[in-house]
Amino acid sequence: MSRMLMRASNVTAVYAADDGRDVPAVDDVTIEVPEGQIVGLAGESGCGKSTLGNAMAMIANPPLYVINGTLEIEGQSIDLRTLDPNANRRHRKYRGDVVSLLPQGAMNAISPTLKIRDLVVDVLRAHDRNYAKSDAIDLATDRLKMLDMPTRVLDSYAHQLSGGMKQRMVTVISTLLNPKLLIADEPTSALDVSSQKALIEMLLAMVEKKIMSGVIFITHDLPVLSMVTDRLAIMYAGKVIENGRTEDLVHNARHPYTAALLASVLDPTEDTRTKHVLGIPGSPPNLGNPPSGCRFHPRCRFAMDVCTTKEPATLAEGDHEFACWWAKEHPRQSVPMEVSHA
Amino acid sequence: MGLRRYLTSKALWYLGALVVAVVLNFLLPRLIPGNPVDVIVSNLSQGANISSEQQAKIYAQFVEEFGLNQPLWQQFVTYVTSALQGDLGTSFSSYPTKVTALVGQALPWTLALQIPAIIIGWVIGNIVGAIAAYKGGGWDRSVFTTSLFLSSMPYYCLSILLLYVFAVVFGWFPVGGAYSLGMSPEWSWEFFWDAQSYFWLPFASLVLINVGGQAVGMRSMAIYELGSDYVNYSRGLGIGDAKMTRYIFGNAMLPQVTGLALSIGTMVGGALITELVFNYPGMGSLLFNAISSNDYPIIQAVTLLITVAVLVANFAVEIVYGLIDPRIRAAKSGE
Repeated sequence: MSRMLMRASNVTAVYAADDGRDVPAVDDVTIEVPEGQIVGLAGESGCGKSTLGNAMAMIANPPLYVINGTLEIEGQSIDLRTLDPNANRRHRKYRGDVVSLLPQGAMNAISPTLKIRDLVVDVLRAHDRNYAKSDAIDLATDRLKMLDMPTRVLDSYAHQLSGGMKQRMVTVISTLLNPKLLIADEPTSALDVSSQKALIEMLLAMVEKKIMSGVIFITHDLPVLSMVTDRLAIMYAGKVIENGRTEDLVHNARHPYTAALLASVLDPTEDTRTKHVLGIPGSPPNLGNPPSGCRFHPRCRFAMDVCTTKEPATLAEGDHEFACWWAKEHPRQSVPMEVSHA
Repeated sequence: MGLRRYLTSKALWYLGALVVAVVLNFLLPRLIPGNPVDVIVSNLSQGANISSEQQAKIYAQFVEEFGLNQPLWQQFVTYVTSALQGDLGTSFSSYPTKVTALVGQALPWTLALQIPAIIIGWVIGNIVGAIAAYKGGGWDRSVFTTSLFLSSMPYYCLSILLLYVFAVVFGWFPVGGAYSLGMSPEWSWEFFWDAQSYFWLPFASLVLINVGGQAVGMRSMAIYELGSDYVNYSRGLGIGDAKMTRYIFGNAMLPQVTGLALSIGTMVGGALITELVFNYPGMGSLLFNAISSNDYPIIQAVTLLITVAVLVANFAVEIVYGLIDPRIRAAKSGE
């Protein structure tokens, strides 16, 4: 296995609710990214994947608070907690430089009254006050040329670019400082398929050119994930319930939720016409009051008595990890896929 | 070139609006029931012993002089031709004073009161609103409630309250007027010193209301901008708070600039009630007195001035907006 680039351990992030209770959206999650790899983070909406992304990108904003967690990256250890008032100042120097964010819906990610070149200068100067304006523009120009993008976009305002171009431009800005880790939060969700393809090819090219050393790719779009990622982590109700190499998860899912999530996507094969998309019955739980035991048990086809009372421990088969009682009783078996034919 | 064409077409639009406004301006006062000459004649005959025959003669002479016996369209033509020559007619009620002279006396008072009040109120209001949005919490709640209270309070309520508390109860300021009896407007320190003591109360009442209105607007704009994607993204890139605040202000400022230009436009008639409460000899008082005595030429002159000021301010906003916001600039020049 390749060298570990970063490890975020025991991340817990809560939303402070109005009634004084804390709703844990990310509950004691540990996630790793090997050097040079793209790790996918998937799950239904509300499972905490974007919240985990925000916690790792150090941009948690009230009412979201990171109450526990450490990020180890290339020998540095960063305290992710945002409870103390100095957290913002403490985290600022890492943002964009060590960990950078490629945001969800980049459509409005650039201030409408700002030229792209001015944002480029502002980003570089935020980390080095004496960065010369011309050097900043040169760096961005070189980067654009390297990625086969037109350099005239630097002189544009955000509204003058198409959606796909804007998202790619934002990707270039996010990676200007050669961040160690890029957290891409649903970067392809708002794009048409050809723009999706262009963006993904650009990301892969950037990883290959070692502009960044690793990527966490957050999305609910499983076909995209299985195409670009080396590893996958599946989240459910604030916890990572399974993670491993992408091909292992896709072909040998060990957690019933992973299997159900994969079954809810149509694979275009010869008998696609005769297949039904299988949904997952029920809806994700209320995180303010999660189910006892395994959080997935109310929706699980394989739920047993123990699932309702005791939380499953994380087990490992090689570098494939999962937390499930059924998987414990059925070692090295994939979850039987439920396929219904019309 | 697109921009020039845009400006020309806009200018033509505003010219059209001006024509419509002038017509309305001319017609509306004439739709007020009552006849101004009646008022003048009855004023004249008060106390004097004038026979009804003489009255009828005086009446006929005034009607002739003011051109009220002509058909409406002819009156309109006369009005427009003389207005273009800078002659806005003769006041009916303060006959034979020229309207331009009366406006010339009143306008400086209104401008001196309103321009500082609007600008200071705008600057303070925007700063207070932005800070409230940025700080949040208790700061925000108290600022927001106070601003909302101030901005939704009718002008005259605040004016009367201030007048009662600071002029009547405490006696710190004079009760009304713009300068002491026995003084007459002139460029001297003595007069200026006297006038400034009358200035502060109406000024304060206008500033407070302006601050309230601007703060409410700026606060909600800034809160909206604070939650926007670009703020979050800039944070994620490690951009500092100072820079980010500049982005936020740049965008939150746009509607506020319109507000400033428009309030400068409406200021000519804007402080009517404030001026009445404080008995301030500005355009508001002039207009009010003219309306109560059916003094068409003055009403027309004041409303014409308001119309022109509003149109010019709107035109200015369109140009300024295009300079600040690239999106609007693009839409205008048809890029």
